[in-house]
Amino acid sequence: MKSPYEGDRIRLRARESTDLELMYRWINDWETVQYIASRYPRSRKDEQDWLEKGDPVYGEAAFIAETLEGDRPIGWLGLHYGSPEDRCVGLGISIGEAEFRDGGYGTDIMRTVCRVAFDVMNLNRIELTVYDWNPRAIRVYEKVGFQHEGILRDGMFRAGKWHNLVLMGLLRGELK
Amino acid sequence: MSYNPWQGQLIRLRVREPEDEPLLHRWFNDVEVTQHLSVRYPVSHRSERAFIERMSSPSFATSEFAVETLADGRLIGGAGLFDTNPENRSAMLGIAIGDKNYWNGGYGTDTMRALCRFGFDMMNLHRIQLDVYDGNDRARHVYEKIGFRVDAVRRQAVYKFGRYVDVYVMGLLEGELIGG
Repeated sequence: MKSPYEGDRIRLRARESTDLELMYRWINDWETVQYIASRYPRSRKDEQDWLEKGDPVYGEAAFIAETLEGDRPIGWLGLHYGSPEDRCVGLGISIGEAEFRDGGYGTDIMRTVCRVAFDVMNLNRIELTVYDWNPRAIRVYEKVGFQHEGILRDGMFRAGKWHNLVLMGLLRGELK
Repeated sequence: MSYNPWQGQLIRLRVREPEDEPLLHRWFNDVEVTQHLSVRYPVSHRSERAFIERMSSPSFATSEFAVETLADGRLIGGAGLFDTNPENRSAMLGIAIGDKNYWNGGYGTDTMRALCRFGFDMMNLHRIQLDVYDGNDRARHVYEKIGFRVDAVRRQAVYKFGRYVDVYVMGLLEGELIGG
């Protein structure tokens, strides 16, 4: 039986303290964090604390994505705030290594984490928000089956103006 | 020109007090009141008292109020703004009119208007957001009447009473409040 944590190009693994320098670089790289909710610079200590929060659990299933070939960490992601009654969870993902933002790595990570959500965690729904100016990510989410569920008008203030947040959802059985 | 920001046409918003506990406890254990809310489990007197205590000093982080009638100072429900974000100037809104005698006389609408106006005029919010479950048409109608728009539909986002329910995410921006 194939590991549910392995896709075609990447695998998901737990956070490790040894990921510190990498995470510190990614989380302070504007090119990377412009697409996520992150707003302020982060210290090594904050990142160390985050990494030491430990292994994936139901309420905070955080992973590092690394390439199958060469075991190179390329990004981080997580399924947050799971409600066991609603079987619904929020998803966040970021690819820190710029050269892996194209080439199908994001799609492979998304498919893998969604399969984990449905097949391992027995969830019914995964949801995410994405900035309306991140069409590359939106395309990836659409490709794996996420549906457009609406627009949170002026949901985020960033870089001097208001932005809309696109809300997307994927139900059990919809993963492509 | 100033006006009383804690007051609508029919109701006033005030802080929850320990004396409110018996009524709040009864309402939040009444499934008719909570069926369209996120409440799922019974609530103890102890946790209701603790909630009132936690909410005793409204602030930007959380401003939870008791709703009482202007006419006779009767406690009829609760409403509040929570999950605020100062950079986005956004908040979530929750409301429950617990006293069923006040379900159809404009008290919910008046409470919503007063609370949203408070959010915009006193807290300087830009966006107020709420969740309404599919099937709660009366509430949705009230929200639409005062200017909220359905921004998104979270399909099957909540499970209650043996089935998955769609959740409408409604938003109201600064300047959109009708009849405030």
